[in-house]
Amino acid sequence: MRPRQAAMLAVLPLALAACGGGGSGGAPAAPSVADASADHRAVKGGGTLNIALNADPDVLDPSVSTTLVGREVFTSMCEKLYDIDAQAALVPQLAAALPEVSADGKEVTIKLREGVRFNDGTTLDAEAVKKSLDRHRTWEKSARQADLAAVSKVSVDGPSTVKLTLERAFTPLTAQLADRAGMVMSPKAINDDFGANPVCVGPFKFVSRTSGSQIVLEKSADYYDAAKVKLDKLVYKIIVDPNVRAANLKSGDVQVADQLATTTVKGVQADPNLTVVSGGGLGYYGITINTGNASGSTEKPGPVNTALAKSPQLREAFELALDRDQINKTVYNGLYEADCFPLPADSPYRSPALQCPKRDLARAKQLVQESKVPTPIPVTVTSPNDATNQRLAQVVQQMTKEAGFEVTVQTAEFVSTLEQGKSGKFDVVLNGWSGRVDPDGNLTNLITSRGSNNYSGMSDPGIDDPIKEAAAASDPAERAELYAKALRRAAELRGVLYLYHNKYYLGMSKNVAGVQYFKDGLPRFVSAGFAA
Amino acid sequence: MVWFILRRAGSAVIVLFLASVLIFLGIRALPGDPAVVMAGEDASPSLIEAIRRDYGLDKPLPAQYVDYLGQTLSGNLGRSTQDQLPVAGILAERLPVTLELSALALLVAIVVGVGAGIVAAVRRDRLPDYVATGFGLAGLSIPHFWLGLLGILLFAVTLRWLPASGYVPFTQDPGQNLQRMILPALVLGTGFAAILMRQTRSAMLGALSADYVRTARSKGLAEVKVVGAHALRNSLTTVVTVLGLQLGALISGAVVTEQIFVIPGFGKLTVDAVLTRNYPVIQAVVLITVIGYVLVNLLVDIAYAFLNPRIRLSGSGHD
Repeated sequence: MRPRQAAMLAVLPLALAACGGGGSGGAPAAPSVADASADHRAVKGGGTLNIALNADPDVLDPSVSTTLVGREVFTSMCEKLYDIDAQAALVPQLAAALPEVSADGKEVTIKLREGVRFNDGTTLDAEAVKKSLDRHRTWEKSARQADLAAVSKVSVDGPSTVKLTLERAFTPLTAQLADRAGMVMSPKAINDDFGANPVCVGPFKFVSRTSGSQIVLEKSADYYDAAKVKLDKLVYKIIVDPNVRAANLKSGDVQVADQLATTTVKGVQADPNLTVVSGGGLGYYGITINTGNASGSTEKPGPVNTALAKSPQLREAFELALDRDQINKTVYNGLYEADCFPLPADSPYRSPALQCPKRDLARAKQLVQESKVPTPIPVTVTSPNDATNQRLAQVVQQMTKEAGFEVTVQTAEFVSTLEQGKSGKFDVVLNGWSGRVDPDGNLTNLITSRGSNNYSGMSDPGIDDPIKEAAAASDPAERAELYAKALRRAAELRGVLYLYHNKYYLGMSKNVAGVQYFKDGLPRFVSAGFAA
Repeated sequence: MVWFILRRAGSAVIVLFLASVLIFLGIRALPGDPAVVMAGEDASPSLIEAIRRDYGLDKPLPAQYVDYLGQTLSGNLGRSTQDQLPVAGILAERLPVTLELSALALLVAIVVGVGAGIVAAVRRDRLPDYVATGFGLAGLSIPHFWLGLLGILLFAVTLRWLPASGYVPFTQDPGQNLQRMILPALVLGTGFAAILMRQTRSAMLGALSADYVRTARSKGLAEVKVVGAHALRNSLTTVVTVLGLQLGALISGAVVTEQIFVIPGFGKLTVDAVLTRNYPVIQAVVLITVIGYVLVNLLVDIAYAFLNPRIRLSGSGHD
């Protein structure tokens, strides 16, 4: 094996992260928010930090978990082989260094950090890592199978070295190992009910969970960097209503509130005892048009009998009728980043040549006229039934009406919209994606042929091939070029009209210091505490 | 009497059986596949299939029903699909919370509602009456979620007298428990208090103009005694009837109140379970509610029969 440093494979910094900047230009700047990574105040030892989560995490088993809030809790108690830093670059966490990759990209060697113990005192070694990785990739109930699909074998190469054999070169692997697929569970605690009493390596260990109410963690005595941990206890409280979450922060009942609604950010900022920091931005939200999902996103595409599905010109007209900046302002108080591509504007994989079209009503009307389809053209938009999504649907309805479309908004519970999306039982649906560190995670399953979340049913070699090639390529510049090619083609086909990248806003009491809040939108409390 | 009770209990069992079928089919008629929800946003078809198999969702409906009935009868309510905790344990945690909230709200409703009703009737067409009637109208009109948010803003954010939300078990810290339950109980009790106030007021007005009250007054009895011992006592029958009728509404009102105040009770559990298509939890929650209603009805039937022999005689076919 001719190892070449994993910088080629892994670092690929999604740097420039803090630069911000809207996609379509001219987007209203988000209100000034503090940069959590710049908070270097001294922290005193002890204390309990109460954190409000915006939803109830699902099962606390890294193999099974699928929610963002679940990842927030894992961040404090289940470390991974790799992590991201403030610049969104991949860095080793339980691994001793970034992985070494063979020349053909099919062998990946991971050296482990030594002297690490799980929170039950068991030693972390190569066997333990193998057991976890094998569970992630082969257990039939594992939601990580797709993340590790490229891995054909995990073998132990000494007490602190693990070797992964891949079926094909797969550059996004390190990014996958920087998420739940890279979490290592204590081999003693692994069983089908692991989620009821999870044991990993982490600054805090699991104490209890009251279903639908709260999750309690306490400082771990076994943590390898215990001196860094200041807080005694973390209590994650589930407070779904955004107004109540903000009220709890203002009253001091919680010291940190996750994912403030855009409607409550201003009020929290105005409180002299509170501060707001922003994170996230890897995900996106958009309007998915069913162009070929006749019988399910993973099935062979078929004809869809709607005016938008049949005519690329009408889809173009629909897009040109939209004013993304106005949508951001009207629906989200200007707090998101308006954009028309699935990769963040500051991603190093995003070619600067990719530009968004501005609203052009005259051209939209012309396209509608040329299509010879009698107006108004009926379009049914399925929207999740929360207030924000309904507001978005109404704005889209008004904007496209001017171009000759008659949008009927059909609301459904979020869960039902997901199912309709997967099964193809929709004309147009509002939906988004929480985003992944590696661009592949925002594309392969979402816009390539028969991808599990390819709701629009797009199937085009002009999209599929470059994305596939990019996953095998290790040079960031080469990958960026391939992604630009795929995104240009996707923008022509318009299966998804991307609208914006959603930022996360974390509300905090000013006496809380040392919280890290990065691009992935997961607040990290390893070095957090109350300001000294 | 024994025959009567047995017959009523028998029909209760039939009701429960029919309810279990309705619950089972009703949940499955909802759009939204629980396997898709559990599998998450990036799920492969094979994972969704595996989850369906694991929860028996791939079987035909009759087979699923037989499994469900068999498990329920053996006392196994399954595991929550949300966090995989045993449903029986979750219910045991949640039910007492809602019962406590409902009991406190009931207390608020009785003290405030009956008290205001008496004052309004005694001071009819004067300021206290107008205040109480105004309170009644507001109490009936203001939705719980709005009142709850206002309460949080005033008492927790502005005045900082009470915690904004959350729950601490009474056994763990009675003081903290009451501090956190006051506001939700007030909010939940307000609407109920308004109804009680109006009923008490009209019943008291009727009683106060009755002959026996005039006689009591002419005998020179103190006003407190006239109102308390005579008029109120006779008005209570109406109040108690309304109280019984409204108990169900109180528990359903807890659904909204628990959401706003983040109280891990039965109501919040129900809403969360429906939104995540958590079949095992929805089935158990609805079943427990039906059992509650059926049991209360059974007890009421038996109580009526005790109080009124005509009922049990007509019921037994011997009249």
